[in-house]
Amino acid sequence: MMSVLLQSKNISKHYGGIKAVQNVDMQVEKGEIYGIIGPNGAGKTSFFNVCTGNLQPNGGEIWFDGKKITGMRPAQIATLGMARTFQNIQLFNFMTVLENIKIGFHIHEKTNIFDAIVHNKRYKTDEKMNHEKGVALLEKLGLSEHAETLAGNLAYGVQRRVEIARALALDPKILLLDEPAAGMNPIETQNLSDFIKQLRNDGYTIIVIEHDMKFVMNLCDRILVLNFGQKICEGNPEHVKNDKLVNEAYFGKGTTF
Amino acid sequence: MIDKIKNFYTQHKTLVILGLIVMALILPLLIQKSSIMSIIVKMLFYVILASSLNIINGYSGQFNIGHAGFVLIGSYTLAILAQLNISVWILYPLAGVVTAILGLLIALPTLRLRGIYLALVTLGFSEILRLVALNWTSLTGGPMGIKGIPSPWLFGLQSTKPHIYYYIVLAFVIICLFTSYRVINSKVGRAWMSIREDDHAAMSLGVDIKKYKAINFMFGAFWAGVGGALMAPFYKFIDSTMFSLDEGFNILSMVIIGGQGTLIGPVVGSVVVNSITEIFRFADEARLLVYAILIISMMWIRPQGLAGTSKSVIANRGIGSKKTNIFTRIFDKKGVK
Amino acid sequence: MYILEQLVNGLCQGSIYALMAIGYAVIYGVVGLVTFTYGEIIMMGSFSAFYYFIAFGDNLLFALVAGFITAALVGVIVHKVCYQRFLDAPRYISLICTIGMSMFLKNFATLVFGSEMKGMPTFFEGKFISLAGIRINYLQLMIMGIVILFSVGLTVFLKKTRIGMKLRAVSQDKKAAALVGINVKNTTLLGNCIGCGLGGVAGILLGVYYNSVLPTMGGMAGLKAFSAMVLGGLGSITGAAVGGVVIGVTENLGIAFASSGLRDVFAFALLVVVLIVRPQGLFGKKGN
Repeated sequence: MMSVLLQSKNISKHYGGIKAVQNVDMQVEKGEIYGIIGPNGAGKTSFFNVCTGNLQPNGGEIWFDGKKITGMRPAQIATLGMARTFQNIQLFNFMTVLENIKIGFHIHEKTNIFDAIVHNKRYKTDEKMNHEKGVALLEKLGLSEHAETLAGNLAYGVQRRVEIARALALDPKILLLDEPAAGMNPIETQNLSDFIKQLRNDGYTIIVIEHDMKFVMNLCDRILVLNFGQKICEGNPEHVKNDKLVNEAYFGKGTTF
Repeated sequence: MIDKIKNFYTQHKTLVILGLIVMALILPLLIQKSSIMSIIVKMLFYVILASSLNIINGYSGQFNIGHAGFVLIGSYTLAILAQLNISVWILYPLAGVVTAILGLLIALPTLRLRGIYLALVTLGFSEILRLVALNWTSLTGGPMGIKGIPSPWLFGLQSTKPHIYYYIVLAFVIICLFTSYRVINSKVGRAWMSIREDDHAAMSLGVDIKKYKAINFMFGAFWAGVGGALMAPFYKFIDSTMFSLDEGFNILSMVIIGGQGTLIGPVVGSVVVNSITEIFRFADEARLLVYAILIISMMWIRPQGLAGTSKSVIANRGIGSKKTNIFTRIFDKKGVK
Repeated sequence: MYILEQLVNGLCQGSIYALMAIGYAVIYGVVGLVTFTYGEIIMMGSFSAFYYFIAFGDNLLFALVAGFITAALVGVIVHKVCYQRFLDAPRYISLICTIGMSMFLKNFATLVFGSEMKGMPTFFEGKFISLAGIRINYLQLMIMGIVILFSVGLTVFLKKTRIGMKLRAVSQDKKAAALVGINVKNTTLLGNCIGCGLGGVAGILLGVYYNSVLPTMGGMAGLKAFSAMVLGGLGSITGAAVGGVVIGVTENLGIAFASSGLRDVFAFALLVVVLIVRPQGLFGKKGN
């Protein structure tokens, strides 16, 4: 019996008259890879941003790890253990990779400005902790060679991995990836897929947004399909693949308009 | 050449810094003339002021162009309280604290503003403070200013001479740079820089943007206040004209010419700008023309500043590139969140 | 009565601010950059009129046209030095450039024209009409008339002419404008010149209204123009006009209730309050 980690109840999000998300229910269980797919403009990103607190829903609630998080600010939600990446990679370009990772440890550090000035024990413990953990994390993800490179100077695929590493530094309970395979070639995509599976085996719960069907089908345990802001299907890849509505949404009804 | 100097510096950091400190300590012994010493003291004032502005603009990516207002508060706090016979030594940090509180008061309602909007609010505050100082005659002496500001005693010597006052200012410069260095290389500094680089990403990592922006403003304002407070006893006289917007622009120019977002930048900026304006002092009014041309040519030749990140990095994702960087972000977002 | 008269003064001064702000809004809209040189453009316009009055007699119409052209020409220099090269560069670069340019023009004017205050000719010799006991100067009426004329003229120009449409296209989307074959480079330059020209005209009106020109008059004028534009909503011409009038009226009513030394305090306090309460300005749309 698995337990529910992230749950959305009846979430709606409107922009003026446009209903981007309508009454979507979702239950993500601990330890699974959960996919959210849908054609362009289906409301995936809006729904995702409601979950992370970047957008406030017009109706419904989000529950995370037994707490209601609707109305909380993104930073607060992050401290509860939700980490995310961005569709168009948002690294701190003028900082080195290691510094990027160190900011990931932000919520685990207790240093305040006075500790920093006098270099007391709290500061030293924090710096030691985030340096050691940061180096270890980079090592684990095979990014050690880039530790001192400015993040903005890295290749695209590497930036993507650094962004995930930075999110992992948060030590999240759940990891939300926004179109992680966007702009990647097939080999990079395959590596990413393996990498995400590896993370799941390490015990992370992961939500992936994609419009690349193949990628999601191979990767996810369960999939939520959105179209025009509504949930049209939910289930394992096999189930989704054979769903009539999903096929219509992606490939049309087979009739001409 | 600049890159060579920087390489040398990174390789022998401690050595260079120690050498500089020793040089700074023996400098008054080498220079006899009080007038030259005064100029050097003035440079040190601007090192503090430019560094404090750099904390705000360079490290957290906020855009403050009304820094003169903070300096004004520091100066007037010291000048007014010194009349009550409070020791100037206490007033230096106290002026900083008062200014930091003011910085917080300005920061709180303006935290959601950025770019040009924040710039305009800081500019407005700066002008309001100057005009209040000009008109509140009973407190500030109005257009007459405040005269006869006492200078502190140092080892039994009254520090009226620039040769002695120099050491007081130098001490504060070192403390300012030292504390800034330590704060920047800590959780707090990293949080500032993450906000500068990408506030959405920072938020997603649990960085409390409002809190860290407020801390940043307070820290910058504190040192601006201390800088202002240091100036008052040296000039013995202050009035509102010393804190005009042009003064704010002057400080801003030093930060930019030196290179924002680097600790050494404001130091370089202050030394270069003050040296050039002093060298051209003979040209009288025309020296400001020279300064103006210097500012413009810097922007044409080396917009990242003398000590700024090397050109290749800027070129990579600065001019003409879509990727976010610290500079475009200041203005590209429409300003309102 | 006194308050109503201050209201009239406020409207008149506000209309000058409005014209300045409109010019600024055109520059900001088309070039897309913040400038701190605008005050000096206003000053240059004013000074040029001072010399035109000396050379060609007190012909206001001629001075306005010639002042517009002079300010527009200064605008070309500003464009070449501060904008053209940096249109795609980080914004702070051109901003600092305009600060340098402003410093240059101000000190240049001080060196060439002298730092002392110069008198402008008087028009209508202080004649006024009485409306329900309120005195309104002919001069004030004329200034408001000229401002309205220029504003309406600009609006028609932007809405009805081909060049005007090009300007609007460039201000909305430079890339799209380039795609449909508009010469963005020249259009941007033209927009800047028109904005500067309007600033020059406003400078002349300011000089005539206060009967004086000074090399340092630009600083505060430029700030007021900037504030009025932001107050109205970035880049909106109507907004800029309203922002200018609001600032003018607030200042003069402020004087009516408190000391005249605090005039500018009211303007800036209003600006700060509006920006904090409604950051997008009075007429701006909320950004994303």
